[in-house]
Amino acid sequence: MNRISASALRAGALRGAIEFRNSMQRPSDLSFYLLGAISFGIALWFLRDQEIPDLGISVAVVVFPTAIAIIMLFVATYGLATLVSTEREDGTVLRLSILPAGTLTYPWGQTVRTLLELAFTFAVFTVIATVLVPNVWNQGWFGALTALGFLILGVFACLPLGFILGSIFNNPRSVGGWGFLVLGAIVYASGIIQPLTELPVWIQIIGQVLPLYWLGLGLRSALLPDGFVGAEFGESWRTLESLGVLGGWAIAGVILAPLLLQRVSRRDSFATLAQRRERALQRV
Amino acid sequence: MLTDEVVVRTRDLTMHYGSKVVLDGIDIEVHRGEVVALLGPNGAGKTTTIEILEGLRSPTSGLVEVFGINPLHASIEHRARVGVVLQSWRDHGRWRVREFLHHLSILYAPFRADDATWSVDALLERVGLGDRARSRIASLSGGQRRRLDVAVGLIGQPDLLFLDEPTTGFDPHARREFHELMHELADTRSTAILLTTHDLAEAERLADRILILDGGHIAANGSADDLARSVAGATEVRWRVADDRFVHSTDDATTFVRDLLVGDPGVTDLEVRRSTLEDTYLTMVARAANPTFVEETQ
Repeated sequence: MNRISASALRAGALRGAIEFRNSMQRPSDLSFYLLGAISFGIALWFLRDQEIPDLGISVAVVVFPTAIAIIMLFVATYGLATLVSTEREDGTVLRLSILPAGTLTYPWGQTVRTLLELAFTFAVFTVIATVLVPNVWNQGWFGALTALGFLILGVFACLPLGFILGSIFNNPRSVGGWGFLVLGAIVYASGIIQPLTELPVWIQIIGQVLPLYWLGLGLRSALLPDGFVGAEFGESWRTLESLGVLGGWAIAGVILAPLLLQRVSRRDSFATLAQRRERALQRV
Repeated sequence: MLTDEVVVRTRDLTMHYGSKVVLDGIDIEVHRGEVVALLGPNGAGKTTTIEILEGLRSPTSGLVEVFGINPLHASIEHRARVGVVLQSWRDHGRWRVREFLHHLSILYAPFRADDATWSVDALLERVGLGDRARSRIASLSGGQRRRLDVAVGLIGQPDLLFLDEPTTGFDPHARREFHELMHELADTRSTAILLTTHDLAEAERLADRILILDGGHIAANGSADDLARSVAGATEVRWRVADDRFVHSTDDATTFVRDLLVGDPGVTDLEVRRSTLEDTYLTMVARAANPTFVEETQ
């Protein structure tokens, strides 16, 4: 089994790298990533002169971790779900499912691709933020490295949601509609736009089951001055809980992704695939 | 090389889609090193049969064994022994030809000995895509894409190969090379091959055995010669006497023609035509669809 897993991981890494190269060569994909980074950059530009009176720090510094969390959710969940449903439609998932260890190779390849795309997007966004926002690295190297650690854990925690959405919706157009709504609801329930403490209790509960709240909390703990902890539950960054919930989602993803793909490929067949493709072409 | 080892076995295989019966009690056996062609009209259940054997579909009832195992519960090792060429792939369009095949070859590497004659580049040459190795898959023509599909089916050096209409869009040259490749696989590697096709000449040339599937049943099972013989009047004799034309179907054309010429010196325009697989196929399908009709014409 070891040699088989090793070659599946190797094939998946190659797959992720090739997919990343392909999307960098496709203007629509490239602009999706650049647009995310640039539009949040513009938001930071407008906010950079507004200071929070008591703390003497720019609002843009506070928005920075929020923006990172939202970009993460959109690339790792929305982007992945769109890709999985597209590749269900064009037969990629089915093709992989009849290859030896293909149901391991596919999710691992998608994970590698997402990591590379996030690295690219965050590199662009971080440069923009560093140039535009004074004091954005107010917590120094330690804060930046902690944030990086949370980001890496956060990717693995957000990917399962992408696989789940991608296997619920069998075509990318539904992901564009319903998936977008689901993500908007997740962002709302995760205390990203406004503090979770100000929302109704039942939303607080849902928010704290999902990974995005904990990713946002972890990033705030790494990048904001200690004074901000007052806006959080129990006036604590709850670092251990953050690591626990995010780690839980990451482990769930490792177990869930291959199973979801097997289920999906069992439901899709070549006949239904051909029908769906025809319908898709008619719409175009 | 044809052997007795059974690689694919179905017993009473039945498949319903809702109330529609697609397969109704199919028994199939394919041996190691045997090439079997599955013929039948559109909608006869050829693709469904192949998908069940690949473990992509669960049959309504009946026994299915591939290498002695139910393909629905196939292990990774088991999957690695089976090569698949399916109809109309549209995936991986932005990948380059060689890197795609290389990616797949990594997955099969743990199961196969390193063999230079089966390397990615050797295989691309074999299917005539050596000069397109760096092209994007989406830029290939229909026939080239089909040849890539064949290479994908072979990259794992399979012991069993399923091909669903593999030569669609092939030019005559590519078709002949494909036939040679299939013969080589069956003869030297004892690969069992099950293919579906609409090209009857191809079935006749490639297959040790032909199965005709129609209306959910196996309408015929045997070599091209067996099938021709089982249709009464396998040979058609036409001739003219003065202005009258005659046609007669017979099993034994030689005796018939000898008697005809001895009996009537006025015979001209004599023409003896052995029935083609196409004639046989059409008769078989017609007989399965409507037995009484065929009885009368005989």
